[in-house]
Amino acid sequence: MPMTRLPPEIRPVLEAGTPAVMVTCSADGKPNTTVISRVYYVDDAHAALSFQFFSKTIRNVRENPRAFVCIFDMPGQAHWALQLEFERSETEGPVFDAMDMQIEAIASMTGMSGIFKLRAADIYRVLSVERVQHPRWTGTEFTN
Amino acid sequence: MIPGKIVRFLDQYANVAFAGTRDGDLVPFGHRVCGWSVGADQRTMTILVPAEFLQRLVDSLHQNGELAVTVEAFPAHETYQFKGSYRHHREVQDGDAEIVDRIRRRFVKAVRPMSYDTEDALQAFVSPPALAVEFEVLEIYLQTPGPGAGTRLIPPVEA
Repeated sequence: MPMTRLPPEIRPVLEAGTPAVMVTCSADGKPNTTVISRVYYVDDAHAALSFQFFSKTIRNVRENPRAFVCIFDMPGQAHWALQLEFERSETEGPVFDAMDMQIEAIASMTGMSGIFKLRAADIYRVLSVERVQHPRWTGTEFTN
Repeated sequence: MIPGKIVRFLDQYANVAFAGTRDGDLVPFGHRVCGWSVGADQRTMTILVPAEFLQRLVDSLHQNGELAVTVEAFPAHETYQFKGSYRHHREVQDGDAEIVDRIRRRFVKAVRPMSYDTEDALQAFVSPPALAVEFEVLEIYLQTPGPGAGTRLIPPVEA
């Protein structure tokens, strides 16, 4: 059942830093998908996404603020589906500073230093969030 | 037409994919893709979608036909986005599970050396297919992180 607040159970998944996927849509109706390095918890009603270099996504949410984000919970064999709405962009402050530091850490771990660079922290309002369990892998087969 | 270099990428290296659709109110929605193949004429792709990601998929495609699919070779980060028009969908058939099994093995082999996740969690990341969607590829974009990310490759941008 979808919720309208980020539940405590999602925080470890966000903090694990698993890459997520984002879908946006332009004003003329073209969907766009992109991999994002991380989704950041701001408070139970807001999430932040990094504005680095996915320019079509950035353009899309500024003309159509709705966005979908899928965050994978690998150990839980599940995913979280978030419906979001773009609210504002921050280029300084505690959220920006925390994201900047974490992105630099991810970049250095993945050999992408100098390529991953935070331009802004985009703040989104959470419209709905839902955890979806995947079929379980038992070692030899999937079970529901 | 999908260039041979990208067909080889899809057939031999890519190991994760995700599709995006939108509804009549321009609300986007996402769908994990567990397998893919390129049509013989290199103008179409068929994507395989697990049951847990079918919500809104067929309704949106019937309504407006718009589809975007990002395919990545992880951890190298080589990534392309394919945009196009829905043609049709079908139930899974003979051969689809083998495509997904091959991609699951490729994913686990690539990620295992750098992951703290269990073997079962890695295997489970690529769920079995429940539906196949064929679409005509109209545009291809480079999405590999870096200065060229977002560049349209097909059709080529005029100089």
